Amino acid sequence: MTLETWLLFALAVFCLGVYCVLGRRNLIVILIGIELMLNAASVNFMAVNHFLSPHPEVGQIIVLFVIGLAAAEAAIALSIILAVYRQRKSIDVADLHELKG
Amino acid sequence: MVFFRRSHAIASGVVIASGLVSLFTSAALLLGDGHAIGAINARWFWIGDTPIEFGVLLDGRTMMMGAVVALITLCIEVYSLSYMKHDPGRGRFFAFLAFFEMSMLAFVFSSNLLQSFIFWELVGLASFLLIGFWYEKPSAVAAAKKAFIMTRIGDVGLFIGLILLFTATGTLDIPSINALFAPDGAPGSIATGRIELIAALLFIGVIGKSAQFPLHTWLPDAMEGPTPVSALLHSATMVAAGVFLVTRFHDLFMDAPQTMQWMLWIAVGTAILASTMAIVAKDMKRVLAFSSISQLGYMLMALAAGSLFAGYFHLVTHAFFKALLFLCAGAYIHHFGTNDMVAMGRAGAGRRMKLVTVGMIVGGSALAGIPPLSGFVSKEHIIGSLPAGARVGALLAAFMTAYYAFRMIFLITRPNPDSQAVEEEAAHAQHEDGHVHHGPAEPWSMLAPIAVLTVGAIGAGLLGDWMGHKLGMEHIHHPTVADMAPAVVVALLGGALAWFDFGRRRSAQVGSVAHLPAVQRLFVRRWYIDEIYDATIVRFSLWIARLCFGAETRGLDVGADAVARGTRESGEMVAQSHTGRLQLYIGSAIVVVAALALTLGLRSGGGGGG
Repeated sequence: MTLETWLLFALAVFCLGVYCVLGRRNLIVILIGIELMLNAASVNFMAVNHFLSPHPEVGQIIVLFVIGLAAAEAAIALSIILAVYRQRKSIDVADLHELKG
Repeated sequence: MVFFRRSHAIASGVVIASGLVSLFTSAALLLGDGHAIGAINARWFWIGDTPIEFGVLLDGRTMMMGAVVALITLCIEVYSLSYMKHDPGRGRFFAFLAFFEMSMLAFVFSSNLLQSFIFWELVGLASFLLIGFWYEKPSAVAAAKKAFIMTRIGDVGLFIGLILLFTATGTLDIPSINALFAPDGAPGSIATGRIELIAALLFIGVIGKSAQFPLHTWLPDAMEGPTPVSALLHSATMVAAGVFLVTRFHDLFMDAPQTMQWMLWIAVGTAILASTMAIVAKDMKRVLAFSSISQLGYMLMALAAGSLFAGYFHLVTHAFFKALLFLCAGAYIHHFGTNDMVAMGRAGAGRRMKLVTVGMIVGGSALAGIPPLSGFVSKEHIIGSLPAGARVGALLAAFMTAYYAFRMIFLITRPNPDSQAVEEEAAHAQHEDGHVHHGPAEPWSMLAPIAVLTVGAIGAGLLGDWMGHKLGMEHIHHPTVADMAPAVVVALLGGALAWFDFGRRRSAQVGSVAHLPAVQRLFVRRWYIDEIYDATIVRFSLWIARLCFGAETRGLDVGADAVARGTRESGEMVAQSHTGRLQLYIGSAIVVVAALALTLGLRSGGGGGG
């Protein structure tokens, strides 16, 4: 597998993630999209690390950090979605329009 | 006024107490020192290097005028206690009277021309407030506006004259100015033309304030105010302020003979003009208003002819007998509820209110110039000081004065069953506000001032020599019997004609002028001067006012509104970007970041690689 293959793979996953965030109405699906984007970026990072970096261990540690932060962020996002559901009985993003005006 | 508007008793008490204080101090000043104390000044502000001061000038002229003002104002204040007894606004009335007294006395005692101008204007303001005292009456409000605006026109002339005087002499201090002009001949430092101009401009202010032609039309309308106001302001004191100004600057005026000539003809003309209007007036206050205009003409005549003493003397005597006449008129008006002399006479004014009628007869005779009353003495001095041509005019006016004075007396005291006189407004004991007049027809607080003024009207003539001494003139030209004769004859002729028309047992009480209906109409319509002003100046001013109003509402207002509307609408347009759609926000953030990354990446990659 060459570097270009991995970069293209990461790009494809990233675009799927962007589609989920911008084009879907379900809050959970938006969360999935965010996770996809984060993981695609990590794959991209590791690919460059494996093929081009003189110290591969540095890149791996950074990616571990990103995975940990993504997990924490997913926990918070889920609790926000739960709170929104409790208040509005809906997780459709079109129903959240307090910022309008 | 600030504190006691509601408690009328306290307001009137305070004002009368202050009036007494003013009177005592001015009388003490007058009777005390034999000579001028001079000026007491304090620095106020500087124009360039010249200090303008603020102070008090005490010399014969100011002390005498101050005493007259204080005495007459006190009489009016006491009189107002019963005249305004039923008026809900009488606290305010007394406050305004006190304000007027303050302004007038401050004007008289000013030592600086700028200061006197300030108080001159304040006196005009007091007049406006008092004429429009019954502010719910539209005619009173209109009259107040008219008075203020017309005197303001004169004040423009006065102010320009003041400025020119300052530039010419470098000072506004009155004693200094008089010292500059006092020696014989004009001061060499100022061009003669300039002195004439200054005198003329000062006189324009006098024309406005003292109601001479052509700025006289406000005074008859000013009778809309309560009678005490008419007695105080528009006969004895405020309108005399103009005359006082001329006496103050007598030396300056003496150095401007051309202007004096012009002043003389305006004064004589006004005296005659106003007398013609008085001989046909039915409203007692209007007769007295025209009479005031005419008598002010007499005072200015004397001053324009060069006789300081005669003008000043007539000012003092006129103050007494004119205020007396107005107070008597007020007593009748208060009792009968009408201003119409014919109605009052028929309702029995002469019989029922004897003491007031005596006062009126004395006042009317003084006005007509019957010896030995005060009006006679002062009028003699005036006529004696005039050159021949003006003397004829003055005698004509004196004839008409005697005629209308006795006409007034006879209409009140001798109504007769053959009279064809028409009442324009019937007498009734019930006033407009519905209360029936209880109480005596001649309450003491009205009689006391009337009595005081009657004494003054009789006796002031005897004080001539003392007055002249006070004014600093040692030699006064006393008219001889031959000099006096024409005036006395003329007065008696006027009285006789009035007797023939109004006083006889079977007279028609219509007046000789009624035989010439066109002339009668001319006099009744006041020579159509009001109509002329209305058609020309008033129309023109209203046209300009409408123009400005249109420019403002259609121009400026529209512009301001457009700016406001534009701001609001642009704000609304921008607000449309706040959609509240989360995914739109995220999408725009992604696009911006991608664009940034691309440009930065390309720049550094291209720069690093190339």
